[in-house]
Amino acid sequence: MVCSKHPVSAAMFMIISLVGVAALFVLLEAFFLAVLQILVYAGAVMVLFLFIIMLLDVGPDAGKASKMKLVSGLAAAFSISLLIVIFLIIVQDSGWLPEGASWRAVPESSKLTQGGNFVFSTAVKNFGYGLMTKYMLPLQISGFLLLAAMVGVIVLSKKDEKEVG
Amino acid sequence: MIQVALSLLFLPFISAAVTLCFLRKHGNIAALLSVATAGGILAFSSFLIFGGEEGSIFTWSTTWFALSDMHLEFGFLVDSPAKTLLFVVSFIGLLIHIFSLGYMADDEAKSRYFGGLSIFMFSMIGITLADNLIMIFVFWELVGFSSYLLIAHYFKTDDAAKASRKAFIVNRVGDFGFLLGIIFTYWIFGTVNLQELEAASLDPTLTSTLLCLLLACGFIGKSAQFPLHVWLPDAMAGPTPVSALIHAATMVAAGVFLLIRIDFLFTAEALKLVGLLGAVMGLYAGFCALTQRDIKKVLAYSTLSQLGYMAAAFGLGLPGIALFHLMTHAFFKALMFLGSGSVIHACHHEQDIFAYGGLLKKMPITAYTFLVGVLAISGVHFLSGYFSKDAILLGAYNLDFVIFLILYVGAILTSVYMFRLYFLTFCGEARSKSSSAAHESTIFMTAPLLVLGFLSVVGGFVALYPIQIVEFLLPDIERVANMPNHLWMNILGLFAWVGGLSIAWKIYGNITSTEDPLSEKSPTLFNLSRSKLFFDEIYSFYIQRIQDPFFRFLEIMELLFISGLMVRGSAGVAALFALLGKSFYSGKIHSYSFWFVIGTIGFLTYSILFGANS
Amino acid sequence: MESITPTHYLVLSLILFSIGFFGVLLRRNLLLVLMSLELMLNGINLALVNFSRTALNLDGSIFVFFIMTVAAAEVAVGLALLVALYKKRKSVFTDDMNLIAN
Repeated sequence: MVCSKHPVSAAMFMIISLVGVAALFVLLEAFFLAVLQILVYAGAVMVLFLFIIMLLDVGPDAGKASKMKLVSGLAAAFSISLLIVIFLIIVQDSGWLPEGASWRAVPESSKLTQGGNFVFSTAVKNFGYGLMTKYMLPLQISGFLLLAAMVGVIVLSKKDEKEVG
Repeated sequence: MIQVALSLLFLPFISAAVTLCFLRKHGNIAALLSVATAGGILAFSSFLIFGGEEGSIFTWSTTWFALSDMHLEFGFLVDSPAKTLLFVVSFIGLLIHIFSLGYMADDEAKSRYFGGLSIFMFSMIGITLADNLIMIFVFWELVGFSSYLLIAHYFKTDDAAKASRKAFIVNRVGDFGFLLGIIFTYWIFGTVNLQELEAASLDPTLTSTLLCLLLACGFIGKSAQFPLHVWLPDAMAGPTPVSALIHAATMVAAGVFLLIRIDFLFTAEALKLVGLLGAVMGLYAGFCALTQRDIKKVLAYSTLSQLGYMAAAFGLGLPGIALFHLMTHAFFKALMFLGSGSVIHACHHEQDIFAYGGLLKKMPITAYTFLVGVLAISGVHFLSGYFSKDAILLGAYNLDFVIFLILYVGAILTSVYMFRLYFLTFCGEARSKSSSAAHESTIFMTAPLLVLGFLSVVGGFVALYPIQIVEFLLPDIERVANMPNHLWMNILGLFAWVGGLSIAWKIYGNITSTEDPLSEKSPTLFNLSRSKLFFDEIYSFYIQRIQDPFFRFLEIMELLFISGLMVRGSAGVAALFALLGKSFYSGKIHSYSFWFVIGTIGFLTYSILFGANS
Repeated sequence: MESITPTHYLVLSLILFSIGFFGVLLRRNLLLVLMSLELMLNGINLALVNFSRTALNLDGSIFVFFIMTVAAAEVAVGLALLVALYKKRKSVFTDDMNLIAN
């Protein structure tokens, strides 16, 4: 996606990649989140992107090179070095990551909490329980956040008074 | 008593301030104010002189300001030499103020002139009354400033401006040595108070010839001794009463007064050096005066010569005689300067003596008083100059023969040029239009002449003075009186002035042309005398060839290093930093996001690597 | 071949993140920059879910929920801003956003 010319094809690639991430969530037995990912990300966010691309009628990148060669070069170098570091981690298997960690099985007990933390479970009920008890405050705040975002978007998209008059 | 002293000191200062603030345009009122101030000064100083009992010393001091443990004092020390000088300064000051009323009657800038005179009186009295070296130095500089102000009275002429600058700068050079001497004194003795120094100097190991010579630099600058004598003849560009007051009677005498004040510090070598210096000056100045054409310049060189006599007297260990000669010299030199002022005024500012002549008939009072002055300076018997000058010669004969020889030749020369001056100015027939149109001056100018003439006649009889004025002189006069060879000295003195008179009569007796006859009779002597031994040329060579290029070099260095490197350079470094900062503001979102991420990663790295609880 | 370990997921998340990072820094089309930003967030989500599953801790997943919420709100507002900017500048390319004309 990051290398494609046309923004529409970039968006398409993005959708595929997001769906892939959702698949990975399924593999990790976080079903609720997988569905959420498809619904919200691939469904709403990307559609919004496509909508804006169509609205603004953005053409392909004209292919002009970035004028700020130095910054581009530095950024490229930086990100490539990040990738190299990752590659080195994979290859050398350094001690930063726990060795040979593998997953334990998800316990089937109906325990909701264990020692202050919530027990991982595939049931949405536990998810909701966690949301409503421990994470009540962030839930409410995110509600406000969504409200603010909505209001903000409406304000930003309003036509200017002069244009109307 | 203290109020009297303070009023004495500040009365002329107040007068000058009032003249400066209110009387700029009212010259006549300023003149009267100034004369009244001079009268007040005479009254107050008489009170100071005669107020205490005989032999009393009045002291008073207050701390002017204190710097940690060094105190700068402002105080008075009115002891016997101070009383003598105070008498001279205030009396002659008053006479010259009265003379100025007549002389400057048609001048346009009277208030400036009289204001300057008042400031001068303030500074001179300050020097007289001061009780510590630093206060003397402050008033020393003030006197130099007043001299600068007054010489440049006719500042529109080139001569006056240059002369006043020269006077001030040459004075400054001397003052630099003086200041070094004061610092050195403070370093060695820990005090600059004169009485404490006198007490401390009982230990002879503390003082040194270097210290004395440094302090004597002030004397050399102020009293125009060798090698800083070049300013005095040029200073004649100022008005004549100024020349009379400052450059004959009082300011140049301040140098001698300083020497008398610090007499106890002098080592034998320093005394000898000062004496020799003075004697040589006496001879040299007399030699130069032989061929001067300007009446005031002749008198200026004469002053230089007599100052040399005073220095020689001091160097012989006879400070009382030096002060005595200072007093009598003040009388007859002021008399002659004022007389020349009268002549100049009458001849409409013509100053070349070869353009005078025949003024004896036209200006009798001036002529006869001037004659008295000439006789006095030549050492004609029983006039004032005879007593002081012959005392010096007698002392020199008995104490140091070399100095005596030099001084004696100088005495002969003195007589020659003084009589030359007299004959050319007053005798014979008028040689130019200005002198034929001359007439006697007003009462303002002639009255002081008469008073000074009287004093020049009787001024040598020390017994006639009130004791308070001459206290300081008596011991040394006694000492000289008890020396041998009186008769021989009288004969030599007689020979000196008679010989001078006859030489002058022979060469200059009947002059009708405006050329100096000496130039035909012996050109080498004439040219040598005229050249003044090239001092001015040497100094201007030094200044133009050595000092100016050096300063230009310094200027370039300063331009390069200080302005260029340090000022512009530091500004440039700051500008470099600004450029560096400016490069962050490219306006491109890419670079902004790039730096943002870099910053974040930097913080993260820092917290991971150096954080307290990684 | 060895079995998939949490390390693999972590590495994958890192790759996703760096690709997104690469895109943010180098793309000139603002829309693509925003999309790359979303990609970075997804990488983080993946890592969080992985940790949640590894430690058997539901807190991680709940946090992912909130991240998604915030990301959605952010995209909405960001796109609205983009539209307003487009109205001003008539372009979505960063080259044309430069007011400091050097």
